[in-house]
Amino acid sequence: MRYCRLFFILLAVWTLFSCGRDKGDSALEYWSSNNIGEITFSQQIVDQWNLSQDGLELKYQPIPEGQSSEEIILAAVVGKTTPDIYSNMWQGSVEFYAKSNVLVPLDTLDGFMEFIRDRCDSLTIREITSSDGHIYQVPWKINPFMTIYNRDYMDGLELDSLPQTYSSYLNAAEKFKKDLSGDGYVDQWFGNTSVKLVWYQRLFNFYTLYIAASDGLPLIKDNRAYFNNEYAIEVFRFLQEIYKQNYFSKEQQAAGQDPFLGGRIATKFTGPWEIEYLERYKPEEFNYDFYPVIVPDDHEGPIYTYCDPKSVVIFSTSSDPQQAFEFIKTMVDEAGDLLFIQMTKQLPRRQGLDTLNAYTSFFDENPRLRVFAEQAKYVRGIENCEVITEVFDVITQEYEACVLYNMKEPEEAIADAEKAVNVILGSNK
Amino acid sequence: MLSYFLVSPYLVHLLLFISFPVIFSVVLTFHKWNIISEMQFVGVDNYIRIFHDRLFWKALLNTVTFLLIHIPLQILIALLLAYFLDQKIFLKGFFRATFFMPVVISGVVVTMVWQQLYGLDSGLINKLLVGIGLGKVPWLTDKNVAMISIAIMATWKNVGLYVILFLVGLQSVPRRYYEAADVEGANQWQKFRFITLPAINPTIFMVTILSTIGGFNLFIEPYIMTGGGPLNSTLSAMLYIYKHAFEYYHMGYSATLGIFFAFIIMMVVVVQKYTIEKDD
Repeated sequence: MRYCRLFFILLAVWTLFSCGRDKGDSALEYWSSNNIGEITFSQQIVDQWNLSQDGLELKYQPIPEGQSSEEIILAAVVGKTTPDIYSNMWQGSVEFYAKSNVLVPLDTLDGFMEFIRDRCDSLTIREITSSDGHIYQVPWKINPFMTIYNRDYMDGLELDSLPQTYSSYLNAAEKFKKDLSGDGYVDQWFGNTSVKLVWYQRLFNFYTLYIAASDGLPLIKDNRAYFNNEYAIEVFRFLQEIYKQNYFSKEQQAAGQDPFLGGRIATKFTGPWEIEYLERYKPEEFNYDFYPVIVPDDHEGPIYTYCDPKSVVIFSTSSDPQQAFEFIKTMVDEAGDLLFIQMTKQLPRRQGLDTLNAYTSFFDENPRLRVFAEQAKYVRGIENCEVITEVFDVITQEYEACVLYNMKEPEEAIADAEKAVNVILGSNK
Repeated sequence: MLSYFLVSPYLVHLLLFISFPVIFSVVLTFHKWNIISEMQFVGVDNYIRIFHDRLFWKALLNTVTFLLIHIPLQILIALLLAYFLDQKIFLKGFFRATFFMPVVISGVVVTMVWQQLYGLDSGLINKLLVGIGLGKVPWLTDKNVAMISIAIMATWKNVGLYVILFLVGLQSVPRRYYEAADVEGANQWQKFRFITLPAINPTIFMVTILSTIGGFNLFIEPYIMTGGGPLNSTLSAMLYIYKHAFEYYHMGYSATLGIFFAFIIMMVVVVQKYTIEKDD
């Protein structure tokens, strides 16, 4: 009986510890996002690679299903089932994994620095350099934010020019807002942006406008809050005025008709993904276009924007990081990037996107995307900060109090946010 | 040997999915850990931090506020509906099924539907209110109203279960008590107050305990509907623990919050047992 008991205990233990992945000693593995276009692109690029190489075979799969890709990657890291290569990692997440030694420092690989200087300008290289001086990511793709507008509505306002500045935007909004049903409540607003109190929603309103106003200043510098400045204050003031005057609705957009397509709003801040969506669902007579995001009245020079950057990384569990990097180089060379744009309508993050001959004919055929390619010269990503989520959460709290509920002046809200962020950064050393 | 074999699946489940996580959580409360790096021993720092964490106490207060609205509302409505179902009415089975249906629908689905209903500008409830000449109500955008809105929604979702429990309780009251009361000339209210209520006291106690435990787990509604706003007025303790664990990756501190919160729930249930439960 004792031996039987022992047998069952050993059986149970063996069952538990035999769970694991065996991808084989002779293969690298690459995960992409599960966007249809990226799946098609990745499969093609991997097939091309395998045909041209005699070395390690490259296996490909889309990232396993989950609530979010960040969640799946985290689970893979914890379970030590990470692939060799992963594209679609948000730039803001890289530092968190880098600090935990989960990623390969790419600048230690042969040929990397030459490659990255060819692909990216010095500002981008500085942006992606981690606090320890290493680079853990290859900038891959961007979706620059711009202002989309309904051309017919805008023409109807008879403005001298597109409302590019805070005061011209507010004036246009005042003209446009209407109570169509006559019930005493506004039901046509000039625009909208998410009021959801989730940290990443601030990337698409406050942070985008902050980058535009400040020409790309960082939120954090030398591990201290850097955003207590006139630009952040003016952005808060601008957005506060918008909600005070009911130019944007405070309703959280949930399931329901798209307010832009439905004609309830005239503008919004969005990215190039909007083009495919609108072309599929818009009515025949619906006309739209894009222009840069709104800036303070005294702004001069080019208008920067947030680009929601995604990067390619190599995990430290990789059996051959150098070979993995050789594949990445193939994936993001001129031909690879052209194939990527053609298949996904997303922009690669590389220098000269709007001027390289290789892409000219593509943008001639897709003029709406050319606008974003021109904007791609003036984009910013996000800081390398391990606690960037908490930083944006703090900003969200102050955003809600000041912008949405008018309970604080912008100066006080930004100052309070600065204090709280410095506490978080200080405790994270 | 056979008995061990038959019990082993549950034993393995108990050890793997209940005992181990609880023990590991307690161990975690003495560490700082972001799930992918090495755990760092910090002694009782996490426990000390709780007492300086104003947002946690705000979240706890919000949860208690929710319970103070939700539990009486739930008990009252469930009891009334059960009393109504205990009468001789047409289509009793249909009403019973209808009241129970929200219980079996996914909480996420229900929350998303109610989020639409509560919409400030396009929500159906406000459209009806404006249509009859009343003003819009900021159901989810006013800090004094948002938690009440969530409590109403949660009551609608869960009341069906307690209607069934109360119905069973009501049907177990011996009819002869009511007949005797009729002979004595008691009216409906007197019968309800002096016969029905005392007889179903164990059911009331059970419903209160279940509602309390369920209410302390308030998470889906604020997570989907409000994100904890406006101005942290709907930030529940569970949502706060979730944010620390799965947004900030403060696994040690979130484990500490969880253990502390479990202790509070236990205390509340013990107090309820001694104050609500009466001897038959």
